[in-house]
Amino acid sequence: MTWRIALQLALSGLSVGSIYAIVALSLAIPFKASRVLNFAQGELVTLGAYIALVLSSYGLPYPVMVPATLVIAAGFGILIERLFIRPIVGAPEFTLVIATFAIGLIIRALIRIHWQDNVFFLPAPYSGPALAVGPLRVNPSYLVIIGSTAALVTLLVLFFQQTRLGKAMRAVAYNQTAARLMGISVGKVFGSAWALSAAIGAAAGLLLAPVAGINPELGHLIVKALVAAVIGGFGSLGGAVFGGLLLGVLETYAGALFGAALKEVIPFAILIAFLLVRPNGLWGATQVRV
Amino acid sequence: MFGARKLLSALATSLSFAMLAAIPAAAEQGVTADSITIGAFGPITGPAAYIGLAGRDGATMAIKEINAAGGINGRKLNMIFEDDGHSPAKALAAVKKLIDEDKVFMLFNVAGSNGTIGTIDYVKEKGLVMFVSFASAPGVTWPFAKNLFRGGTTEVPRYGELYAEYIVDGLKAQKIAILSGREEYPKNEGDALTKQLQKWYKITPVKRAEFNIGDKDFTPQLLDLQQADPQVIAFFGNPAEAAIALRQAKELGLNQQFFVGTTMVDQGFLTAAGPAAEGASGFALIPLLPGSSNPAMKAWRAKWSAEYPNLPANRPNIFDVLAYADMYVVAEAMRNAGKDLTTDRLIDALENLHDYRVGPIASPRSFAKTHHIGNLRLQPMQVKNGEWVQVLWESKRPSDILQRYH
Repeated sequence: MTWRIALQLALSGLSVGSIYAIVALSLAIPFKASRVLNFAQGELVTLGAYIALVLSSYGLPYPVMVPATLVIAAGFGILIERLFIRPIVGAPEFTLVIATFAIGLIIRALIRIHWQDNVFFLPAPYSGPALAVGPLRVNPSYLVIIGSTAALVTLLVLFFQQTRLGKAMRAVAYNQTAARLMGISVGKVFGSAWALSAAIGAAAGLLLAPVAGINPELGHLIVKALVAAVIGGFGSLGGAVFGGLLLGVLETYAGALFGAALKEVIPFAILIAFLLVRPNGLWGATQVRV
Repeated sequence: MFGARKLLSALATSLSFAMLAAIPAAAEQGVTADSITIGAFGPITGPAAYIGLAGRDGATMAIKEINAAGGINGRKLNMIFEDDGHSPAKALAAVKKLIDEDKVFMLFNVAGSNGTIGTIDYVKEKGLVMFVSFASAPGVTWPFAKNLFRGGTTEVPRYGELYAEYIVDGLKAQKIAILSGREEYPKNEGDALTKQLQKWYKITPVKRAEFNIGDKDFTPQLLDLQQADPQVIAFFGNPAEAAIALRQAKELGLNQQFFVGTTMVDQGFLTAAGPAAEGASGFALIPLLPGSSNPAMKAWRAKWSAEYPNLPANRPNIFDVLAYADMYVVAEAMRNAGKDLTTDRLIDALENLHDYRVGPIASPRSFAKTHHIGNLRLQPMQVKNGEWVQVLWESKRPSDILQRYH
């Protein structure tokens, strides 16, 4: 393997990993706030892409369509939390996980009723010929994906450190009872976490649509995002991003070195290794049972 | 007393015989006095849904037209459709349901090769006619089975012959690389091309790389192929995958000519791949692609659009046309089989069809007692100025594959 190929693969792996990272982030946020692992997150990615498809069919220009998609997706997030999650938030974790799984299946089935499994394409204004950077060829879409991930992580860090809502989310994640006693509306925080998570999922759908096309199975990458979140440490935002990028790069190199068959095995082998050696991930907090 | 019992017994026996004699025509499963039930299956969910959705819609439109025109010898056609999810196991479950629970008369298969291979043994055992519209898996027609027929597509080893001849003699390439999916159909196409290149031209592909169905990033495989410096890269997979691979190939600076499998020779591939498709070549399964401006195709497309007004821009695709044309082939054979429709009569009628086609949008279908491959015609095409256009090239080599049927 030459240096050029190694670098080209790294670039490709980072772009694939950036998508995993964004979805892993969107999984980590509601988990941090409400301890609910949202198995419908993949379908929220898909939903974001379809919202964009509908808006673009009305001729909305891309700079208007993107924020509109994020706002509508956030609205869906609030709706899901209020209608389906909040009434059962005190139920055992397994019940909540199954509920989110069912929500995902419902979203996918509703999408199928209208659009069936046809593939739609959503062109993005940044798509274009590859840029030559030294010996490397850089796809502008990849640059946008990597850049968007970096921007999103920065904004989220600022949000959690600088804003009242972000601080409230951290407080609720740390101790719900204490947060409630301090006057924080836990219900409002839950709703905000789901809105934020759905909007980030929609951002992943928007970034993925021009590269991969839109169909009801777009959200399948939830499995890889879960692996990324486990590697990074569930609930750790930085860990989710690192896990996603690491997984994308390892998967791409595995494909190049060992072929397509083993490429599918590598992520899960890594997952098992992490669960055995470091079950709380790289940055996950250790929980002590007493 | 004993005499009365004997009399009652004789009466009951006579009545039973009389009742059996009254229903000879309806004794065939799935056939009643006024209807014929056809069981159909294909993938309408998952990555190969573009095949099954189109197959279902094309066949449904044909049935609607046939029934509106009076049906078949006084009977209306009725179709029950099952999703096989592009999985051999699900396809087998669908076929078992259609045959054993729904009691269909025959099967109309709009599945891909992946689903079809799971059903072949069971259908052979059951003896019903299975008319396969799309799947090129060799097992459908070889070894020969009396109840299995192939419509719009030909056997994949024949693809191998045509692909090899076109790439070597037509495109004048000696260094050929193959990028193929790991599922049944693209793997078969890659294997068939490899085998035929070796057999006819003593050429071994300079590189073969594989990918998984649904992959979105082909950078590792493309960089691998680039190192081998081929003149032609043959791609076999689904159109969405091909579009991504071709776009990424151009971005990575691979300027080799691309040759693509038959499923890509369609409008949907052009829409998805955009300018990256320019110069790609492949073989078309139908004489007129759905995007053609030929009046016959324009009229058919208008009819289709009136039936399905809300579907995406890349529909109808070639599979809509193939299923539509093949349902007419089945209907024509049923008509020729006569009022007393049985499986044996349908097989006989199909074997006696010669150069039948519903119109200029379809290739003629012919079957024989010795082989059940309906269509042997494929048209080489190339993308020029964003459109698939016919290439003036004809196969000159006699087929080895077809020899085995004589």
